Amino acid sequence: MEVIAKPKGGNIDKMAEKVFMESINLLGGLKKLVEYRNLTWLPSLAEAAYVIVLKNEAFKTYGEIAKELGITEQTARNVATADEEKVKEYIEGRLEEKPNEHIAGGIAKLAYRKLKEEGRLEEEEVVIRHDEIEVLGIDWAVHVLVRIKGLDFPVGKEQLAERLEGMVIKGKNVEEILDKLEYPVKSPAELLHKIKLSLEE
Amino acid sequence: MARYYELRELESKAPKLFGIPTGTKLDEMFFKIEEEDGKFVKKPLGGLPYLSIMNLTGVPDSGKSVLAEQFAVTQANAGYRVLFVTVESPANFLYTALKHKSEAMGADFSKVEENIVVIDASESDELRENPKALLDTMAYAIREKKVTNVIIDSITGLYEHKEMMARQIVRQFFNFLKKWRQTGIFVSQKRSAQASESAEAAGGLAVAHIVDGTIVLDKKLVETRWDVSLYGLPIGSVLRTIRIDGCRLCGHDSRTWVFEITEFGTIDIIAPLSEFIKRRGRIGEEKQEKIEEVE
Repeated sequence: MEVIAKPKGGNIDKMAEKVFMESINLLGGLKKLVEYRNLTWLPSLAEAAYVIVLKNEAFKTYGEIAKELGITEQTARNVATADEEKVKEYIEGRLEEKPNEHIAGGIAKLAYRKLKEEGRLEEEEVVIRHDEIEVLGIDWAVHVLVRIKGLDFPVGKEQLAERLEGMVIKGKNVEEILDKLEYPVKSPAELLHKIKLSLEE
Repeated sequence: MARYYELRELESKAPKLFGIPTGTKLDEMFFKIEEEDGKFVKKPLGGLPYLSIMNLTGVPDSGKSVLAEQFAVTQANAGYRVLFVTVESPANFLYTALKHKSEAMGADFSKVEENIVVIDASESDELRENPKALLDTMAYAIREKKVTNVIIDSITGLYEHKEMMARQIVRQFFNFLKKWRQTGIFVSQKRSAQASESAEAAGGLAVAHIVDGTIVLDKKLVETRWDVSLYGLPIGSVLRTIRIDGCRLCGHDSRTWVFEITEFGTIDIIAPLSEFIKRRGRIGEEKQEKIEEVE
């Protein structure tokens, strides 16, 4: 009698990653995000992608999602209940005022729906346009986010050095970059922003 | 893109109607109607309808798991692969139960052992709490182990603290088993507040309304003189009943039957309740008269 005691197959992390990448594509690609100086949306978008996948694929409650992602239940709820159509109108410029919705949540929901409708969420391979990102020279942001997954903010230099060890960002060793930052770093968004400013110096 | 079918297109896809044996008298309680010499006759199916998903429900200790395990042993002994998703009892306890049942049923345990694959969701939060992870794991087992029958004991355990999602979760598992062409049993638990003879399970009508049919198990404690006289059983004993509450794939006996869980832990369906009462009631009345004489 064979006993299977651990999950096999599907992967919530990969699905969240797909929703995240599709969200970026919906926004016109990372390049557009950079042009509009919206790179700090990335952590929020990553968070929203996880919320949507955990809610719709893993059937987690808001409380469970909040605990898993280290966010408040209200944030999880705002993400999952965002009116994606209104957000769509807003990002397409058809809405003059910013809607009262969770923007990243609405985008992640649009991306999730698209992937689901096209049957791409369940596909084995992860379609990440690494080449495109690398050509744009902004792949480091995604890599940094992957490395700091699960880290409790605020964080100090030592914790970051441990996680980001060995990374080279735009030709600079990450240790060199970390030396120049101010600590503690309050959030993933602040970390990306500070690294970006340091690269521009 | 959504599409429609001409009815005749479905002919090649329609499943054949035959029985998948459970190793109990239930096999004779499902039937189909066939024409013989210009007359329509009822023919026992010989088991649960092929590719059906049946809901096995009842209050605690009514014999749901016993019946599910008996089905698993019967199928495995006949050489068919069974996937047993255990949500309540850890896999090692299931092993012991299946071994005892095999011995009681005269089954070849080495064959049973070889043909049953177990997913132990009882000790894995990820499998129990995350339907997607469990479905993927089930898909792996079905594909890799060539499974044809699936038992989930219990489906209720997959949404016990989120009953609002019951329908959504049950529907997912139902559609999944249909897609993978499995004959399945969902064991579902009933709360004591729900009428014990009904098909309702925890989470409202979630399971019964989605699956192809429901089998309701019940037990009654003989506790009054009236019960003694009616059932012909001594006070304090337990009367167990089983009833096919509905099946949308084929005809079925709609009577309530009396059954016993034997000392070897197997289900033995004895007689329809009405006949049981007629037969045993007389004995009960005689006993009652003797008791009154003594008093």
